[in-house]
Amino acid sequence: MKSGSNTVSAVKAASLAAPTQGVRRDKAPIDWIGYVFVAFFALPFLLFNILPVLFGAFVAFTEWRIIGTPEWIGLENFADAIGDEWVWLAFRNVVFYALIIVPGVTILGLVFALFVNQGYPLSGLARTLFFAPNVVSATVIGLVWVWILDTQYGLLNNVLAQIGIGAIPWLTSVDWALIGVSIASIWWDLGLAFVLILAALQDIPKDLIEAARADGAGPLSRLRFVTLPHLRPVLSMVVTLQLISTLRIFSQVYVMTNGGPAGSSSSPIHYMYTVAIVRNLYGYASAIAMLLFVVILGVTVVQRFVLRETQ
Amino acid sequence: MEDWLEKRGMRLWDVPVWLVGMAVAFIWAAPFVWMVSTSLKLPSKVMSEGIEWIPNPITIQNYVKVFEFPVVRWLANSLVQASVSTALCVFFGAMAGFALARFRFPGRAAIFLVFLASLMVPVEVTVIPMLLAFIKIGWASTYQALILPTIANVFSVYIFRQFFLSFPKELEEAARLDGAGPFRLFLLVALPLARAPMIAASVIIFTLNWNNFLWPLLVTFDESMKTMPVGIAAFAPVVGTHTQLEGYSVAMAGVTVLSIPSLTLFFVLQKYFIAGISQGGVKQ
Repeated sequence: MKSGSNTVSAVKAASLAAPTQGVRRDKAPIDWIGYVFVAFFALPFLLFNILPVLFGAFVAFTEWRIIGTPEWIGLENFADAIGDEWVWLAFRNVVFYALIIVPGVTILGLVFALFVNQGYPLSGLARTLFFAPNVVSATVIGLVWVWILDTQYGLLNNVLAQIGIGAIPWLTSVDWALIGVSIASIWWDLGLAFVLILAALQDIPKDLIEAARADGAGPLSRLRFVTLPHLRPVLSMVVTLQLISTLRIFSQVYVMTNGGPAGSSSSPIHYMYTVAIVRNLYGYASAIAMLLFVVILGVTVVQRFVLRETQ
Repeated sequence: MEDWLEKRGMRLWDVPVWLVGMAVAFIWAAPFVWMVSTSLKLPSKVMSEGIEWIPNPITIQNYVKVFEFPVVRWLANSLVQASVSTALCVFFGAMAGFALARFRFPGRAAIFLVFLASLMVPVEVTVIPMLLAFIKIGWASTYQALILPTIANVFSVYIFRQFFLSFPKELEEAARLDGAGPFRLFLLVALPLARAPMIAASVIIFTLNWNNFLWPLLVTFDESMKTMPVGIAAFAPVVGTHTQLEGYSVAMAGVTVLSIPSLTLFFVLQKYFIAGISQGGVKQ
């Protein structure tokens, strides 16, 4: 599974959180021991999940190098970021990544889930094969696809040559590198969307489908009028999760192209990494992370708003 | 033919759909086959035009070569990091999830909401400040640095809380009547019944840890402290020179070794993987 924070379906979970408790408010004694039970988890949570965000916000307003004293420089990092063409390039790239990967993962995940949900022979095997890439690390994904996408000896160009398509420089040209990384990302990410959509499909009451069939609805109109309306919430969740995960794209970029050639496949987090590790500008790197954080929060808020409107 | 189909709930026009779908499923797995196939080829036969799925001859020399790198050490580091972190995360998560589901104390709903809200924070936002802090206290490139920041995975709390919400009240009351305190209630009554969420949380969190990339990449400076994904990533042609010089067979041997633990875990326990993931929508 991918590195990074867990983006559990906060959407789904948050709606479950509140109403399940507080049924009785009688004079049952308070279990003070509850705080102790929670503390074991809450302590590392505060230290390593929450505190670094606050500290990072502070670092973003400083010039911070590994050696020497950090210096408060106000908004300078943010001003620099807005004037930095590499920042613009990284954010432009991530929009293109999202435009390729999010529809790719959602549509293929939907098609694969519809197929497995038919319950044909060997559909359990198909489910395993569709999900498997999701459990290996970015290093595996990256290296396997660098090899498959090799211009001269790669498997994909070899196959394409048999149907008369000339060698494509998947990872070595400015025009193709982002697409090459996106192909590997779709292969890696699909499993989650697939499993979530499949679970939602299995929740659709069988009699509903049967009733539609009895009314003479063919497979396509059953899909259009029964299945897809039921899938709207899960598809909305899949699009949001995948969009956020794609905005954070880093590991496969690092392994496959290291952002190149000429920054054509870089991403905000890849640029953040370069600024910190190669250029030793930790304050500036933190400012770039904060900018991305704001974008991701914006996406989350918009998604929740849209979800509420449609329900 | 008709009988065969009917027994499987299929009609004649299902057959082409089935055949195409299964073909796509096998193509979807082909990169793994290609990975293993390449790792068993002679380097001289790898960089050649033409597709050879079954190597001839089969060789293990790429695996021998890959173990000339500190792969044993990287594997050990990954194993220590992922095991310790997963054990702590699952145990603490079970405690917190149990308390949030079963104990009545002021603020428990708010605490859970804060846990959930934190999921909106991408880990990428925390790595730079955390790296600075670990360098400052002299813990960069240590096991503490690899393990501590990965302990508090909210998924663990979430999955146990969901499970314990439907925990039978009678069991809890019986245990309390027997004079069991809250810790004995949790350890001896609740936890042994929570086998399913425990396996689901363990396999998913272990896999996330095993595959974790950005944080170990940042915080390990010495070759000897690298984890397996970070160590093997140096075989990428854009990062190191080894693959450019030797070709892809050794790199494929490296990623095969790296992917065996998580793929095996998945194949054996996929029921738990898929249940846990569709329940929590987890993803790292």
